[in-house]
Amino acid sequence: MGEDKAMKRVRTPTRLSVALLSAGFLLFLGWPWLTARGGIHCQAMSMALFHGCLALAWNICSMMGAVSLGHTAFFGLGAYGSALLCHYGHLNPFLTIPLGGILGAFYGVLWHIAFGKLRGAPFALASLASVEIPKVIIDNWESFTFGSLGVVGIPPLSPIRVGSFMLDFGENPVHLYHLFLVGTLFLCLLYRQALRSRWGWAVRTIREDETAAASLGVNVRRTRLQVFICSAFLTGICGGVYAHLMGLVEPALVFSLHISALPLVLSIFGGRFQWYGPLLGAVVLYPLDQVVFRSLFPVGHSALYGFVVILTLMLFPQGMGAWLQKRLHLASS
Amino acid sequence: MMLQFLVNATTLGAFYALVAIGFSLILGVTHAFNLAHGEMLLLSGYLAYFLGKHFGAPLLLILPVSMLTMLFAALCLERLLRRVPEPHELNTLVITFGLVLLLQNAMLMAFSANYRIVAPETGPGQTPSSTLFLSETQVLILGLSLAATGAVFLLLKRSFLGKALRATIQDGEAARLAGINVKHMHLLAFGLGGLLVGTAGPLYARTAYLHPFGGMEATLIAVILTIFAGVGRIRGLLIGGWILGLVESGTVLLLGTNWRELASSLILIALLLLRPEGLLPKWAKTRP
Repeated sequence: MGEDKAMKRVRTPTRLSVALLSAGFLLFLGWPWLTARGGIHCQAMSMALFHGCLALAWNICSMMGAVSLGHTAFFGLGAYGSALLCHYGHLNPFLTIPLGGILGAFYGVLWHIAFGKLRGAPFALASLASVEIPKVIIDNWESFTFGSLGVVGIPPLSPIRVGSFMLDFGENPVHLYHLFLVGTLFLCLLYRQALRSRWGWAVRTIREDETAAASLGVNVRRTRLQVFICSAFLTGICGGVYAHLMGLVEPALVFSLHISALPLVLSIFGGRFQWYGPLLGAVVLYPLDQVVFRSLFPVGHSALYGFVVILTLMLFPQGMGAWLQKRLHLASS
Repeated sequence: MMLQFLVNATTLGAFYALVAIGFSLILGVTHAFNLAHGEMLLLSGYLAYFLGKHFGAPLLLILPVSMLTMLFAALCLERLLRRVPEPHELNTLVITFGLVLLLQNAMLMAFSANYRIVAPETGPGQTPSSTLFLSETQVLILGLSLAATGAVFLLLKRSFLGKALRATIQDGEAARLAGINVKHMHLLAFGLGGLLVGTAGPLYARTAYLHPFGGMEATLIAVILTIFAGVGRIRGLLIGGWILGLVESGTVLLLGTNWRELASSLILIALLLLRPEGLLPKWAKTRP
């Protein structure tokens, strides 16, 4: 894998990469002012950051070697959990979203119990099949979940008052963009630190060789459980946020193959083995799809994602991130 | 009533087995997970629909055209999957998953999201006993599925080519040592898979509504039957198809159509848990 190659090099931040990172950060901070404020480009970039978080959450599983085709189960459970709590309990969305995430994490624990022995392709198939269980139950439990009609009238993210300044996420796209930017940066840094910690190395060791990891003292079962819980919780939170952004949830919308596929495609394209890979994939590919391809092919523009995943795996199996890292290394040495 | 239920379930089961054989052969011989199997079925279904609708072609003409087209498509797929980097089975799974996304959206673009079905040419026929209701389409499906299954069975068990194929399924390396051209066997497996899908597609278009996103269900059925029977075991696939047909028809009868998908997913998960080696029995022994 690319891991052993990367390990041989000493990982010190070069001047070039620091300059690139800070330039990128400034670009993202000023994006709403560079484009028409609150226009389509700003909204597309908000959603790109949102999908970047989704891809990061998916990539935690992938770092451990568990390629999942069923993350939409967590997404849908998070969305429904948050939406129904808002509908029945009239709670603040910022409280119900983490609760929805916990519902997703609960399903992650079930995955761990049920799929404990599955690896590789059988795991991917089982995860694909496991989506149907919550979907069909929610679809048929009409008295509680409103069945296939879905839950409508979900309140948008509630405004927050900071001093005299009002942060209104439901009305102002620029504020929403900055909320997503802060959330993404926080998640990204957390992810980077987690991967560099002892735990992060344990996770990657499990991917490379489970027996070797166990012999080095890694508790494989416990680490797998932790990975599933983290990944499912974060995906559930993304689902909750999505429900409040859209204002409605229905089974076909939040339990769709598309939502399982997007984080996989973005991560593989951006680079599964780098901490910034999923985010890189999201900010490059998602706006390309929404801004360019959607105007060219209004129907079926998502074919781009299928095309990209095939091309990436055939030509650069390590993804863009690894390619970029190599260029940076060559340029700075 | 009971007899009718059994006949319907048997027809469904025979069709499921027909869909699964291609997938199972490809998986067994080349170790490639073809998640786009259902999409290929849909594509040939659409082909049959448009041939029948715009040119008024009879089924006797549609079948060979569809079989040849799918043969070509499967051989193209083989060329693509041949170059997939290691780990082979997981990467073929992800690549064909990408192919699923590509084909679904391409079909959405080309055929729109309307539901389509090939209407039967004549009204439903009635057998002499008035309690049993057997439509022409059902007879056609049962007959063609069993004929195609039987042909593949004979090819595998009675011919020298079939022996070579079975040897490749059991152990590719040993087959190569014995002088079998494994590359040709890969082409043959994909070719047979394409021919079988090409046979199943026009039948599918007559029984089920075609929709660009409907292929995944067929793929899952092929996966379920393959795990149940093991790769390349025709009789097991037939029995599994029959059981699955019974279970699905029973679920629809008792709980309603909404729960049918849940039944097949639960069966898949249960099979994966009970026999995780069922997908790849031979590799576990030869490649620890």
